[in-house]
Amino acid sequence: MNNSNISAKKLFTLALLGSFIILRMSYCHAQQRTANRSLTLSIISEKTLSGTAGDYVTVQSQINNSGSQSLSDITTYMSLVDESNKTPVDLEDWSAEKGLYIGTIDSGQTLPLNWKIHFVKAGKYSLIIVAEIDGQEIPQVSTIVHFTVKPKRNLNPGQVLPVALGTPIVVLFIILLLNYKRNLHKSG
Amino acid sequence: MFKHIWFKELRERFYTWKGTLWLVIASLVFSLVSYLLLTDKELSLLDQTEMMWMLAKVIIGTGILIVTIDASSIITDEFEKETAESLFLSPIRMRDFVLGKLLASLTLWLFIFIVSIPYIIVTSVGTHLLLPFLFYVFLLGTLGVLGFIMFIFSISLLFRSSKNTLTTSLIILLAIAIPALFPAMLKNNSLAAILSKANPIDNMFSSLDNVLVDYKASLFNNWQFIFPLVLFCLITFVFLVYVIKHFKLAGVVKNE
Repeated sequence: MNNSNISAKKLFTLALLGSFIILRMSYCHAQQRTANRSLTLSIISEKTLSGTAGDYVTVQSQINNSGSQSLSDITTYMSLVDESNKTPVDLEDWSAEKGLYIGTIDSGQTLPLNWKIHFVKAGKYSLIIVAEIDGQEIPQVSTIVHFTVKPKRNLNPGQVLPVALGTPIVVLFIILLLNYKRNLHKSG
Repeated sequence: MFKHIWFKELRERFYTWKGTLWLVIASLVFSLVSYLLLTDKELSLLDQTEMMWMLAKVIIGTGILIVTIDASSIITDEFEKETAESLFLSPIRMRDFVLGKLLASLTLWLFIFIVSIPYIIVTSVGTHLLLPFLFYVFLLGTLGVLGFIMFIFSISLLFRSSKNTLTTSLIILLAIAIPALFPAMLKNNSLAAILSKANPIDNMFSSLDNVLVDYKASLFNNWQFIFPLVLFCLITFVFLVYVIKHFKLAGVVKNE
């Protein structure tokens, strides 16, 4: 009888502890989800992003904390995908700024996030902004922005043609002139 | 006295087709390259700075090749045409003789550079890199050409034959130039990295890359490439001085 009472008490204690842990985890998870939900990222320059290879454009985006608590230690960065090749793009040549760090964002505050990027190669791309909040497992992402980089052709026959044709002709003319002068000098 | 030799060489070269034909060839090479770079649909997709970098390499490469061929015969011709005897019997010091010839070869590089200026201007239209482009092509080209001329003159005095001098010079030029054209990924191991740092042509191309592609145009940013070139010139200068000091007139001047 005593043994069964003790087992029942143990079971009760264990059940209570388990419930507490589950509740605590659910609370933490819910808190993270609330934090993520309260943080929104948006790219506001999506209409002006398209351009020509070689152009420098600014990706204008913003981060907003619509929650009731301030959030700290947020790292934001861009992620670019080449849609033609279905591969992520190494941003080494595209942008000098790898990521933007936000120390604290207060409740209801909106902060601008601007990246200057260099369109290196022509193609179709998609861009997202990612925010990682310190201590949270799930990052927050913006909606995907699609844009096209048109190829740049440095064709300028109007300028190169006179030089390409003219320089050898001028050099040849100078040589003929020197030879003519020398012949005159000889016969004189 | 070196001025007399220098002007004599210039008169001989630039009043004949032999010397001036090089300038026509150089301008045709530059015309072809710049026209292809600026009109070919595939090549024109390159970034403009990369096109400028390619043209700069072509200008310096063509300059070094032409000067190498020309310098290989400028001294040895005197031995082969047997004009060296009268030269060395006149009161001309060996130092003046070599300096006059060296200035004549450098003048050829200067003319090649002058011919390249219109191409440099037309390729750099729309960028702010015209002056650095001109300055670095001239500086790096002059240092490289000077080093090669001094080396070629040293072996000219040793061989006293145009054919041997030209063959040796071209083989050495190729041996130095080919590794400089390797992509950067092939220079990753330590031996390749050391050879690359010691290679004068590699240093010239790397400096041009630094200036035209990475926009690092100050001399301070390019010192790591210019210093090995200065060192190359110093080593070839010491070699030339050594060869001049040990040069024997036997075989050139009769009864010597």
